[in-house]
Amino acid sequence: MTNKKIVYKPVDPEIEELALHHGGTQEATLEVLKDLDAKNNLNSVTITETARALHLPAHEAYGMATFYSMLSLEERKKVLRVCDGPVCWLKKASNQLSVNSEWQNKVGEDFTVERTSCLGLCDRAPAVLVEDEQAGPVEAQNAAKVCEGWRGVQTDYSTPRKGEVRVMTALIGKVNPDEIESALEHGLYDGLKKALQSDPTAVLAEVESSGLQGRGGAGFPVGRKWRFVASEKRTPRYIVCNADESEPLIFKDRVLMDTNPHQLLEGITIAGYACGASEAWIYIRGEYEYQARRLERAIEQAEAKNLLGENILGSSFSFKIHVHRGAGAYICGEETALIESLEGKRGEPRLRPPYPPTYGFRGQPTAVNNVESFCAVPHIVKNGAEWWRNLTDDPTPGTKVYMVLGHVKNPGLFEAPFGLTLREIINDFGGGMLPGSTFNFALCGGAAGTIVPPALVDAHIDYSSGPLKGVTRDIKAMEKRWTQVISMGAGSFLICDQTVSPVAFLRELLHFFAAESCGKCTPCRVGTWRSLEILNRLVSGQGQQGDTDELKTLAVLMQDSSFCGLGQSVPIPMKSVLTHFGAEFAKAELVK
Amino acid sequence: MVNITINGQSIQAEAGQTVLQAAQAHGIEVPTLCYHKDLNPTGNCRMCIVEVKGGRFLQAACVTPVWEGMEIQTHSEKVTKDRKLTLELMLANHPQDCITCDVSGECELQDLAYEYKASAPEWGSKGTRYPVNSDPNPFIRVDMNRCILCRRCVSACAEIQVRDVWGVAKRGFDEIIVAGAGTTMLEARCESCGQCMAYCPTGALSNKMNYGTARAHQVTKVTTTCSYCGVGCQFDLLVKNKKVIGVQSNPNSPVNGMALCVKGRYGYDYIHHPERLTKPKVRRYLLEGKKKPVISEQWAVDSGQWDWVETEWDKALDIVADKLATTRKNYGADSIGVLTSAKCTNEENYLMNKLARQVIGTNNIDHCARL
Amino acid sequence: MSNSMDDVAKEAKAFFIIGSNTTEQHPVFGAMLRQAVRQRGAKLVVADPRKIDITEFATLHLRHRPGTDIALINGLMYIILEKGWENKSFIDERTENFDQFKATVMNYPPDVVAKTTNVPVEKLYEAAEIIAQNSPMAVIWAMGITQHIVGVRNVMDLANLQMLLGNMGKAGGGVNPLRGQNNVQGACDMGGLPNVYTAYQPVTSEEVREKFARAWGLDSGPRTVDGKTVRGLSSTVGATVTEMVPGILEGKTHALYVLGEDPVMSDPDTKHIRHCFESIDFLVLQEIFPSETAAYADVLLPGVTFAEKTGTFTNTERRVQMVRKAIPTQGDARDDWWITCQIAKRLLAGTSDRVRSDAPYSGWDYVDSSAIMSEINALTPSYGGITHARLEAGERLQWPCPTLEHPGTPVLHTKQFTRGKGKFMPIDHVPPAEKPDDDYPMLMSTGRVLYHWHGGQMTRRAKGLMEVYGEALIEVNPNDAEKMGLIAKSFVRVTSRRGNISAQAWVTDRVPPGMVYANFHFPNASANELTHASLDPVAKIPEYKIVAVKVELA
Repeated sequence: MTNKKIVYKPVDPEIEELALHHGGTQEATLEVLKDLDAKNNLNSVTITETARALHLPAHEAYGMATFYSMLSLEERKKVLRVCDGPVCWLKKASNQLSVNSEWQNKVGEDFTVERTSCLGLCDRAPAVLVEDEQAGPVEAQNAAKVCEGWRGVQTDYSTPRKGEVRVMTALIGKVNPDEIESALEHGLYDGLKKALQSDPTAVLAEVESSGLQGRGGAGFPVGRKWRFVASEKRTPRYIVCNADESEPLIFKDRVLMDTNPHQLLEGITIAGYACGASEAWIYIRGEYEYQARRLERAIEQAEAKNLLGENILGSSFSFKIHVHRGAGAYICGEETALIESLEGKRGEPRLRPPYPPTYGFRGQPTAVNNVESFCAVPHIVKNGAEWWRNLTDDPTPGTKVYMVLGHVKNPGLFEAPFGLTLREIINDFGGGMLPGSTFNFALCGGAAGTIVPPALVDAHIDYSSGPLKGVTRDIKAMEKRWTQVISMGAGSFLICDQTVSPVAFLRELLHFFAAESCGKCTPCRVGTWRSLEILNRLVSGQGQQGDTDELKTLAVLMQDSSFCGLGQSVPIPMKSVLTHFGAEFAKAELVK
Repeated sequence: MVNITINGQSIQAEAGQTVLQAAQAHGIEVPTLCYHKDLNPTGNCRMCIVEVKGGRFLQAACVTPVWEGMEIQTHSEKVTKDRKLTLELMLANHPQDCITCDVSGECELQDLAYEYKASAPEWGSKGTRYPVNSDPNPFIRVDMNRCILCRRCVSACAEIQVRDVWGVAKRGFDEIIVAGAGTTMLEARCESCGQCMAYCPTGALSNKMNYGTARAHQVTKVTTTCSYCGVGCQFDLLVKNKKVIGVQSNPNSPVNGMALCVKGRYGYDYIHHPERLTKPKVRRYLLEGKKKPVISEQWAVDSGQWDWVETEWDKALDIVADKLATTRKNYGADSIGVLTSAKCTNEENYLMNKLARQVIGTNNIDHCARL
Repeated sequence: MSNSMDDVAKEAKAFFIIGSNTTEQHPVFGAMLRQAVRQRGAKLVVADPRKIDITEFATLHLRHRPGTDIALINGLMYIILEKGWENKSFIDERTENFDQFKATVMNYPPDVVAKTTNVPVEKLYEAAEIIAQNSPMAVIWAMGITQHIVGVRNVMDLANLQMLLGNMGKAGGGVNPLRGQNNVQGACDMGGLPNVYTAYQPVTSEEVREKFARAWGLDSGPRTVDGKTVRGLSSTVGATVTEMVPGILEGKTHALYVLGEDPVMSDPDTKHIRHCFESIDFLVLQEIFPSETAAYADVLLPGVTFAEKTGTFTNTERRVQMVRKAIPTQGDARDDWWITCQIAKRLLAGTSDRVRSDAPYSGWDYVDSSAIMSEINALTPSYGGITHARLEAGERLQWPCPTLEHPGTPVLHTKQFTRGKGKFMPIDHVPPAEKPDDDYPMLMSTGRVLYHWHGGQMTRRAKGLMEVYGEALIEVNPNDAEKMGLIAKSFVRVTSRRGNISAQAWVTDRVPPGMVYANFHFPNASANELTHASLDPVAKIPEYKIVAVKVELA
């Protein structure tokens, strides 16, 4: 007897069936909501029914439906999502709102046009997502063609650039990503076979001694993380692959999954073996539907070959990999938010400690690693830790998949050992600046990276934004380091020439962060919004005296006081650009 | 035991304690908003941030465990500055209507803003973002404009009442607290216990029943025990001008703490209902010394003999005593029955027992324990 | 309750709720149980024909046929014995009569019980395992167990279960009846019962009567003064409410003094109750509202609400707590204790030979309610140390609390039972008094809803509560609704052998097919128009939970 408003009604049978189809637990929430959304049937009533079918409070399902940007309670037709990322912005150098309406006018009645945060197609900018198909580079004037199925041009990375050292990208263009026979011919799963012949502790020791650092951006030693998980007594333990690549400028994981999915599966499986885990989930961003299907295909094939599943290759090791699609939320790249999302909740970061290795997915010990980290693992196991360390003289061992974008001749992706400078990235790998372009600044790492001026083109690039062994945790000292070294982050470098205003550029970044802030903590929720408001004003010539100071104050607050890495790292580009390009901001303040 | 220092003071904290718990245990005040001792801490408002030596960021005291050798500053310049700024960010999205707000004077946001001298920035509060008084729930007034998204209501509903009505929807700056799938509270299966309202630190959720009747400082609180079921919840009656204008949780209640149910918290207005009996009444036949009419017959009504007549206490009591004495004389003590009350106090029940047994001389006493 | 709500909610590994709609009738305790299930994984077995709200949280819901509680409990105990899950040392050390009890239980094998109760055999096993394998386990019940002609037997069988599992006398275990009214516990403790004085001191005990006679200044029995017999304390057990009111028509009851009770709403078979009251010689009603019973009163004395009085209430876990006056009495109303004193004094003045004024507690001059409590302290062993002063000082006291130094007793029977050893009682299933037949093919059960209180005198005068639940609703199963051609909002007429009511139907799977549920909050459609006065032979409690009815579209 809740009250007289509650009328007895069995759960809508259609939704009940959907719920059961997806497993019938809270973890199925996002899938059910996505299915309903696909039928243009997402509303208060169906969301409540979903919650009932999954035995959840209605607010949980509603909280999800309104959290993930790919879901919408509005009436929609076919959805065409226009990328609003900084790289696409740079390509068009125009205001996103007008781009949206430009597309809407051209696509006609069948489509609903929506803005979306970066689609992870930076090497195909400007990019759009047509329903679940990636397209780029495409301009609004090609809208008709896009509607007919034209998807732009795929990037081709089969030919290495001069100076590349290819490990993880070695088989691009050589291996057929949809044929496991092809993968086996090229030696994939040899690492797994070797691993299965030794003890899990030996595999773990090998990865540990390789010094492999997490490729998501923080650079946490992979082996150490696995050791935490392996040493937990509780089972089951889980492996989670973070394929939620949603940070503007970053697309390497997409390319790795697209070109060689079995490499990733092999790495995850080895991780499972080393950690004593039984199951893994690949959390892939919803915009990577194409890649998700490819992975599912690969999993099926691997299972058929007994490279996954029960008693892999006759060993006592059994392992399953699942693919879980996100639905549009940058915050889900944060590992605890990702786990929440995987559990069928809003992707909000958890309190830490406890960390995922002790309390992760379903509360169990969980290793969360980036796609690229897993992709390195088979090679390390196959060739040995020493081989990996010897790939470079740099203190950080191994190779890295880099991305270079913006006003260079050859933007795209390449693999090289650690130890590059920005100058080498621009000139040697990026082919130099475009004709007529002078290097003005670069956004390094990813959207939450530092904005560096020409003075730093020869600075060392490493994982310096995170705490390093032996390096002080003092924030002042850290900030000083930023003026001397460049943080690797996820390894992307957006090179901007003299035509790009640092003020307008920062506005684009804040536009992204404000759209993607989860809203949990006050400094990030209001701080990103207010910063954007100020930047909008500065960009549109309405600057006021004190704007720069307020931005600085907000940056300090967000960095000091935010709940999670998102809010704490928004100030990295803010502070660096304000430090290096203070004069530009001062100028914008005075424009009337 | 863990050795830590807070503001230079050496303190022995218990292992597993949070910085906030350790500080509070030693009388060191750290401001909080989203934190409440009854609820699982979420660490989202960032008011309780403190500086930990060697830490890269400021730490929320409510969720940061103590560790050996930890050195904490709860009121460093950096910390107080950030708190003030965070408050300003909250106030920027909070109406500047303390002057008409019903919880002014017992609003935690107001208190902290005062303490930190934080006011709404000039860029803030550009108008009402959400409808005022937006939910038809008869007891709880909802004004999401005043909400600071601390989520105490969500936790209270999930952890105290375990009903899960309130939740968080949307994200970023658009984030909002919603009932169910964006429905009314009642549709979201709300039991109207008012726990959310009791834990709300601002006026976002307030008492609709006494909206506009009193300011916090005009109210006297009297702690008492609920008159409904046998659980024995305690609460404070709010009294203004000799009238009960509300019920408020009293956190020291032994059985229920802050929790109450819909009847206990909102079923109090019968106290001043116009139908209250305020004067003794007797049937006219008693005053006129006539025989009792047969009340199933129309004559009882037509003759007026069965009409109520208000009398003075002495008269009514004399009639009662006289009738009971006569009955006892005529039919014996056991012809009289006494029904005492499960709604009255122990003291009153004792007297009824004494009346039946000592005065009347019968054991014919009972109450509705069986019904 | 043998235990406290706090220890039950915090320490029980499992709960067995039978006949208690906890989240609606004891909402705050219900929420505590939900917390236990949600937050610390306590197991919960709910036995109830209705899918009440707390079943959402149940590990297992047994939807047994109404009136088959004993068969169900015996069936569970059969399985416990069969599996060897009983607590042998507890049975050996703390109880007696086990063998005789066991012989009876052995007549309840699961297949037989499944037929009687309509609970599948595998669910019986599942339930037995949950309640037996999780210790301590607390049994919680309310009127769903007691309002049967076998109410007392039901309770005794639950006590059997707890002794069998050794769940008595420990935190998180025990037998835990939830008392309905705010001070029903206190009213019982204070001698508001026909067979006992305060603290359950029997009226049939010479020793007890002697004690009260000395205190109240009269004799423990009749005596002769100047050739006349003067009545002292009566040694005969008095009549219960369910006997007193019908006693009017039998010429036994001639006058009633009713304090804050509303028999017309709360007693069974309303038509008959009205008929009784029409025939009474004199009815004095002390009330805060003109209740339904007031229509039959000869004198109405205005008492006060809890907000206007000072005193104590005793809750379901024997906790005595202060009630404090917050506002002046309304109008010319008076403190209820003052009114009683006035009547007593007037009556005593007329019979001065009966009561000697030199006895310590013969008089009726109390300065305040705390003075009354002092008299209670002196005459009531379990309340001996419970004073207003201690409560005002913030002490938290649960009886027994015999002395001023005693800290109170949160858990009863920790070392031994009141009678020494706990006695197992062999209990057999007895079918309910009223059975459905062709004319009255359905069952009706009665009770209350979250938003209303008993006869509704207070809650029907609370605006917000009426806004949420403003009229009687009768719960009808969707299958039955379909058969009848009912749609939501239709009105139904429910008829029993005693009367009929019409109210809006609430079509819901909360009730099983063949059963309806009605409440007694609204005079125009009170379930008690339909109920019958078949009483438990010991407790004289009416069988409210099972009434044969027919249900039609109105």
